[in-house]
Amino acid sequence: MSAGMETFYEVIRRQGITRRSFTKFCSLTAASLGLGAGAATEMAQALETKPRIPVIWMHGLECTCCSESFIRSAHPLVKDVVLSMISLDYDDTIMAAAGHQADAILQETRQKYKGQYILAVEGNPPLNEDGMFCIDGGRPFVEKLKEMAEDAMAIIAWGACASWGCVQAAKPNPTQATPIDKVIKNKPIIKVPGCPPIAEVMTGVVTFVTTFGRLPDLDRQGRPKMFYSQRIHDKCYRRPHFDAGQFVEEWDDEGARKGYCLYKMGCKGPTTYNACSTVRWNGGVSFPIQSGHGCIGCSEDNFWDKGSFYDRLTGINQFGIEANADKVGGTVAGVVAAGVAAHAAVTAIKRVASKKPEQVG
Amino acid sequence: MSRVVVGPFNRVEGDLEVHLDVEEGIVVAAEVAVPLYRGFEQILVGRPFEDALVLAPRICGICSVSQSLAVARAISAFSGVVPTDNGHRATALAHAAENVADHLTHFYLFFMPDFARASYAGEAWHAAIADRFAAVKGRAARDVLPARARLLETMGLIAGKWPHSLAFRAGGTTRALDLGEIMRLRAILADVRAFAEEVLFGRRLEAIVALETLGDLDAVAAGPGDFAAFLRLSAALGLHELGRGPGLVMSFGAYPGVGPGGGDVFARGTLDTGTGARAPLAIDRIVEDPARSWLAGEAGPPARATSEPDIEREGAYSWAKAPRYGGRTVEVGALARQLVDGSALASALVAPSGATHVAGRVVMRLVETARVLLAMEGWVDALERGAPFCAEGAMPTDGSGVGLVEAARGSLGHWMTVRGGRITRYQIIAPTTWNFSPRDAAGRPGPLEGALEGIAVGAEGARSVAVQHVVRSFDPCMVCTAH
Repeated sequence: MSAGMETFYEVIRRQGITRRSFTKFCSLTAASLGLGAGAATEMAQALETKPRIPVIWMHGLECTCCSESFIRSAHPLVKDVVLSMISLDYDDTIMAAAGHQADAILQETRQKYKGQYILAVEGNPPLNEDGMFCIDGGRPFVEKLKEMAEDAMAIIAWGACASWGCVQAAKPNPTQATPIDKVIKNKPIIKVPGCPPIAEVMTGVVTFVTTFGRLPDLDRQGRPKMFYSQRIHDKCYRRPHFDAGQFVEEWDDEGARKGYCLYKMGCKGPTTYNACSTVRWNGGVSFPIQSGHGCIGCSEDNFWDKGSFYDRLTGINQFGIEANADKVGGTVAGVVAAGVAAHAAVTAIKRVASKKPEQVG
Repeated sequence: MSRVVVGPFNRVEGDLEVHLDVEEGIVVAAEVAVPLYRGFEQILVGRPFEDALVLAPRICGICSVSQSLAVARAISAFSGVVPTDNGHRATALAHAAENVADHLTHFYLFFMPDFARASYAGEAWHAAIADRFAAVKGRAARDVLPARARLLETMGLIAGKWPHSLAFRAGGTTRALDLGEIMRLRAILADVRAFAEEVLFGRRLEAIVALETLGDLDAVAAGPGDFAAFLRLSAALGLHELGRGPGLVMSFGAYPGVGPGGGDVFARGTLDTGTGARAPLAIDRIVEDPARSWLAGEAGPPARATSEPDIEREGAYSWAKAPRYGGRTVEVGALARQLVDGSALASALVAPSGATHVAGRVVMRLVETARVLLAMEGWVDALERGAPFCAEGAMPTDGSGVGLVEAARGSLGHWMTVRGGRITRYQIIAPTTWNFSPRDAAGRPGPLEGALEGIAVGAEGARSVAVQHVVRSFDPCMVCTAH
């Protein structure tokens, strides 16, 4: 590791990745980030000429689901390349070194790349009892986090834990698990929420930052707009059934087998901003709604304490939630003035009014 | 005597610290500390019981299906709603995919990289092993990660998303698989079989599950594949003499509803590895003891226990409680599961010393992988098109039940009590809680603590690679351990 001098391109060539694979990686990534036609070339040039940006990956109070998602990114090449980018520096879960040797590497990286590295944080610090609920290398994780954040260029908050707190912050939040932006105030933070986030979203974000050396456009909640500007509901393949007033009433019922809308089973797709219905999961195979279960809104703040996951989104709160999500997210799309309950009612009325018999079969 | 601290550990799931008392280069006592606690048992209380299906899997991003199924089975236990035949098959397929993925991760990414360490640089085999298994950079990672990702597409088809899937319920799965999806499952399993046979085993899966004696293993060791490479290493380093287990192994029974006669595929029960005595599982013999944990209260059965932090507790050194079975410490995991199931090879492995060991744990994890992959092919073929995947039934508002699961790492139990539709008590004992248990009130060390005693660490102290092998041979999952 020569101090920040090596380019990313040199690194991956050294690891045996071909020029052709590299070019393909650039095109794929540019496409997945929704960048324009010239972006692949721009990316290639950046990776060939700029010094590689180191990434340090730390784990706090968490379940490792973010790492688990990340290492299964659909395109093996993308994952290989991104893994090579990261592994050069520090990652608790997959790195070679162990124990205090690993801690030493962490400190060395921090000093060597002062002000230049990206700190990727999975999990969050618990603050009760002076941080005693998450001890890492003999010290509370919160101390290590503050120390590493101090010299970072920017922070990626992986997943719902780092972004919002997640289920460990659910009432009564026994450990006072606290999202990163409540602890680190003086650094730019990219929130990549979801429990876990989609692999391709994670590789997309980390590639963008390390390639261009700057943060992607963020919405007002700090999420990258390229992945979090649309609601699951907007792009859901079951949306026509919602519009037609065709709903699943029970698990695995006739409606379920026909792929009707899961809104009545508690689906939170109408109020959830994420890329699940477009990028999908496990290599683009499926996503929760496709498996016949509603969305639980795991990329939204406080999803864990909004009442039962199986309660339907109903009634007067509906307008409030939706207006609020759009306002806070700063992503009003034009069609969102109507609340979902009203929306559902209107489309159902339309169907009745048209007096078409419901199709069977 | 000197005290050394090993940790934090990398390449384990979550955080772990091990304290060793070393006398003249030999470990005389070990304390295993779990330094991470979130309080799921407190968080779940007061919530509608079905919400546990969403919250409890989030204990662990590596074995979330096991956690989901423990909740679903606890709900089954008090509601009487049980999976349909197809529900059993789809559930078993998803659970098996997760378990096999965990076994592959453990072998390739967590366990083998330790043999690439510089401390082995003088060994004749080192260069080849380092080239193949060095952490992240080794060539094996590039083979296994795509195969593992392909296997987990199973999870996409059955459960939509993984980790933290939502499709698992008391009555089965929410997704009815159609013919196209069943064909895709077959294709995935064929690809994974190809990887397992060409890269991992160097021979047919059928040949691996047919292994019965130590002589059979020697024959495999002479052939190609990563399993053979491990067997050669293991023989060279004497890994069958390292990391002696506690003498009692347990299994809660794996893949219910898809085994012979609609029962378990892998049997439930306990086995004494010293005497060979088998016994049926008696769940009421399980007690949790917080004597050396930062948790309040006394020893008692999980159905009546609570988990309230008490950081002032005298003598405490871990967030995990000490689970005991009839007063004894217990080892759980693939080796335990295969021993209880009556595997001839597993018995042959432990027979010479009368105890479990590092080599046995790794060998049986891989042999089990072959057994499970073969079984999965049968479950896919058995899926009945048009038959229901999920049973619905009236849910009582009061009751209590225990959900028992064999996760990749061993026996997992959820004890749930519900009043008025809401959870009033929830207790979890995870596989690594058994294996990495702290001492109990009587001072008896947990299985890993016992397995580390007597290891020669020499001048290396905390850097001893033998300690790493023993710790990792259990495939710890620390976030599950104290939850």
